[in-house]
Amino acid sequence: MARFLIVRISLIMVTLLAVSIAIFSLIELLPGDAAALMLGQQSTPDSLRNLQEQMGLDRPPHIRYLEWIGGALRGDLGVSAKSPDISISSVIGERLRNSALLAVSAFVIAVPLGLAMGVWVGSRADTKIDRFLSMGGLVTISLPEFVTGVVMILVLSTMLGWLPSSSIMMPGESIIGNPQVLIMPILTVTGALFAYIFRMARANVIEVMESNYVRTAVLKGLPMRTVMVRHVMPNALLPTITVIANNVGWLFGGLIIIENLFAYPGMGGELINSIKTQDIPMLQSTAMVIAAVYAFSNLAADLTYGLLNPRVRLS
Amino acid sequence: MTQTPNSEAPLMQVEDLAVTFYTPRGAFRAVRQASLEIARGEVLGLVGESGCGKSTVAFAMMGYLPGTAQVEGAVRFEGMDITAMSDAELRQMRGNHMAMVYQDPVTSLNPSMRVGRQVEEALVYHLDMTADQARDRAVDLFESVGLADPGRIGRRYPHQLSGGMQQRVVIAMALACEPHLLIMDEPTTGLDVTTEATILDLIVELKDRVNAGILFVSHNLGVISRVADRVAVMYAGEVVEQAAVRDLFKGSRHPYTAGLLSCVPQPPGDDGVEHQLSSIPGAVFDAQVEQSESCLFAPRCPLAQDDCASVSPPMLDAGDDHAVKCLHHENVKPGIWGDLLERQQKPDQDGGVPVLNAKGLRKFYGGGRKKWILFGPSVRQPVRALVDVDMRVGSGRTLGIVGESGSGKSTAARAIVGLIPRNGGSLELHGESLDSHVHERTEEQRSAMRMVFQNPTASLNPKLPIRHAIVRALRKFAGLSHAESNERAEELLESVGLDPSFLDRQPSELSGGQQQRVALASAFAANPDLVVADEAVSALDVSVQAQVLNLLENHQRETGNAYVFITHDLGVVRYVSDDILVLYAGHVAEYGPSPDVLSAPSHPYTEALLSAAPIPDPDAEPTHIRLEGSVPTLRAAFEGCFFAGRCPRKLGDICDHTPPPQQTGLNGDGHVINCHIPVEELEAIQR
Repeated sequence: MARFLIVRISLIMVTLLAVSIAIFSLIELLPGDAAALMLGQQSTPDSLRNLQEQMGLDRPPHIRYLEWIGGALRGDLGVSAKSPDISISSVIGERLRNSALLAVSAFVIAVPLGLAMGVWVGSRADTKIDRFLSMGGLVTISLPEFVTGVVMILVLSTMLGWLPSSSIMMPGESIIGNPQVLIMPILTVTGALFAYIFRMARANVIEVMESNYVRTAVLKGLPMRTVMVRHVMPNALLPTITVIANNVGWLFGGLIIIENLFAYPGMGGELINSIKTQDIPMLQSTAMVIAAVYAFSNLAADLTYGLLNPRVRLS
Repeated sequence: MTQTPNSEAPLMQVEDLAVTFYTPRGAFRAVRQASLEIARGEVLGLVGESGCGKSTVAFAMMGYLPGTAQVEGAVRFEGMDITAMSDAELRQMRGNHMAMVYQDPVTSLNPSMRVGRQVEEALVYHLDMTADQARDRAVDLFESVGLADPGRIGRRYPHQLSGGMQQRVVIAMALACEPHLLIMDEPTTGLDVTTEATILDLIVELKDRVNAGILFVSHNLGVISRVADRVAVMYAGEVVEQAAVRDLFKGSRHPYTAGLLSCVPQPPGDDGVEHQLSSIPGAVFDAQVEQSESCLFAPRCPLAQDDCASVSPPMLDAGDDHAVKCLHHENVKPGIWGDLLERQQKPDQDGGVPVLNAKGLRKFYGGGRKKWILFGPSVRQPVRALVDVDMRVGSGRTLGIVGESGSGKSTAARAIVGLIPRNGGSLELHGESLDSHVHERTEEQRSAMRMVFQNPTASLNPKLPIRHAIVRALRKFAGLSHAESNERAEELLESVGLDPSFLDRQPSELSGGQQQRVALASAFAANPDLVVADEAVSALDVSVQAQVLNLLENHQRETGNAYVFITHDLGVVRYVSDDILVLYAGHVAEYGPSPDVLSAPSHPYTEALLSAAPIPDPDAEPTHIRLEGSVPTLRAAFEGCFFAGRCPRKLGDICDHTPPPQQTGLNGDGHVINCHIPVEELEAIQR
């Protein structure tokens, strides 16, 4: 087990190294650099050269790359191109916390609810209630977050005025102090996630219900409830949980859109923001952190699967 | 109203059972008319070909049929009507008073639950045992079904057990609450013949020990004759004959039963004369057609007369507790399925260049680094699937390759045709060296060697008509024009006994046997010199299997093709082969002319395989040599004999430490036995 972890983590390191090179090179290929972007229209060749020297941008790319990575390993990601007063590390730290708050809340609500509902409906396959709920799930999945989000803003903020339509924080305010701004983003993420988990769980339950070992359990004379809890659920939920865990990255994609829609101060919002303002150092580091989160959540997914599945655990 | 058991009533009584499944594609009459009775302490064998309704009868006894099934007639268990029971009443019966053992134990056990708990839960639920009592009882049960280390086996998960051990667990589970009725649905189908033999031993022993009635469902006549006291034969959803096992096998009164028996390859009789297999022409009565006023078997019956088409025969008494559903049962006697033709002897092998000559054939799988280590030395040993195997097949001859699963049979077949490249050794076709990979061989070499697989459904493109498969082979390998190949395709289909109109059908419209004949036709299309058949008849019903075997034999006689025939069925291999190669864990255990290999002296592994093979004859003397466990996966080269780990005749240290010498059999050069025991001694102990 320890060896498995060490190997996997070193593989993740290799992956992240490759990702960092890719991100750095891609940005390097773009015309202009941070200095040119900072100066904007006021740029003259002289002032540009001065600023480049000041920021160290005149040095060869591999030196700058190593400096960036070296800093990152020490927890220092440098400063924003917008202002030397803004430390990227502290911005990302705060944004990551906010995104995590959103993602974890959505998970905590959607996973148990989705699984429970999937099992309940799966054991009643092809009944009216099953058809109704599966169709509902399909509709929810098919609607992109920016549609459900906009509808929610329209109804809950504009028409009813119950909730603020955006999560913009005044300087010095934090999300924790204003929980009402969380409600709509969480609902939007939960909606899509829930429908997805529910459909997965339902499909897996139906498949397992048709398996030979469930027939064995039924012909042992066990009551249906015991059959469901002991024989159907462990086998049906195992692949469901794995797929959910493997889709954490997909969840992040959704977060980027939702955070922008509600102007929520999270990682996704920051990523888009840094693209809009052409804040290259910030963009580099945000993309890197998102890649790292993605890699580690996949590891977590594999570990969960290993823990739950005796075939993997015992070999 | 709750029903109470009546101790006077028969244990299980099925009366005029009919089960119809209503599906979107129409109504399927799985069971049309079945009447059976099972008494306590008796084993009733239920036999028939696939689709005859025997499993449906078994599940009807457990009250386990889908909602789309319409059940008519009565199923009474100790006088109580199963078909009228509520779910709660059924739960009280199932797993408690009646229990079931299934085909394919690996899918019948919950993969994520320890096997001990799977046995214990029935005890806790039905007998109100405490967890500790149940655990002790489970250990006793594991011991009683012959599982080694019963105290600890319960802690294992199904995937940690071999197929035979899994089936023992399923049997222990069924016996848990001491049921009155035990239903076994193909319990040994899919297991290796050696494992099958040990499970059958257990069932025969259980029959005396537990006072339960047993319904034993199987398609295999040999297995039925070994365990059953009485036998019921089903055809097209009807029970057509019922009698004591000996009466049925020795004096069957229904033409169908007689036909089935004559389809099974049997060892030559005492006179040494071998008979050609008979086969049953035609197809099983369509399950979608409603019952007509006729005998359902009449269209295929050699004894059919006018009244067979107008009267549905009732169950008639043929004396001695022998019931038969045939109007003309007095006319049933040996030979109704065509005269017993003595098999034509094959011409002796000419001394010329063999069609296929393999020397030191070797295939190692994998090896190298573990997947997740990018650098460093090789840490994983390769799987030694085939180690230095020699074989040769002459023109017009058949080489049979036998062994349990994991013995390297299929690897050998694939290495010969070049589907998997060999790692060592030489392969010659007509004396010409063959490249290891099929892509590197010449077009002539490829067309000279064709392969037929076990599963015909998977080898035919489901979206294209039959014509496509055959015409493609003809144009590619025989170089025929479009018009010529279409003409030739018709001839080929006729030669495999199919109507040319089949050319425009889709594979899904054909039965398994018809599909396999199409696969053979497309193999023959290339006009090959060698046909490699990997378990080509294993998935077929005996009547169809006989047709395909006869087809192969006739084709060989006409064309002089050589065959490599791979099968786990010793009866079949005995019937088709001129030479036999016995493989164990990739090593040659024994190799030589078929009669020499199959008689003493033979390698202890061959002896064990022969001893395990079920023979469809209730008078056959039970054999005693059994192999436990399964073929090991060999990764490291080892010093001793490849078979030492399971050998029932192991001598001792020498077998563990010295590779066996290659001995020559009593009849000379052609017969090789790789064993430490001298051949004279082998002969003495095996006679």
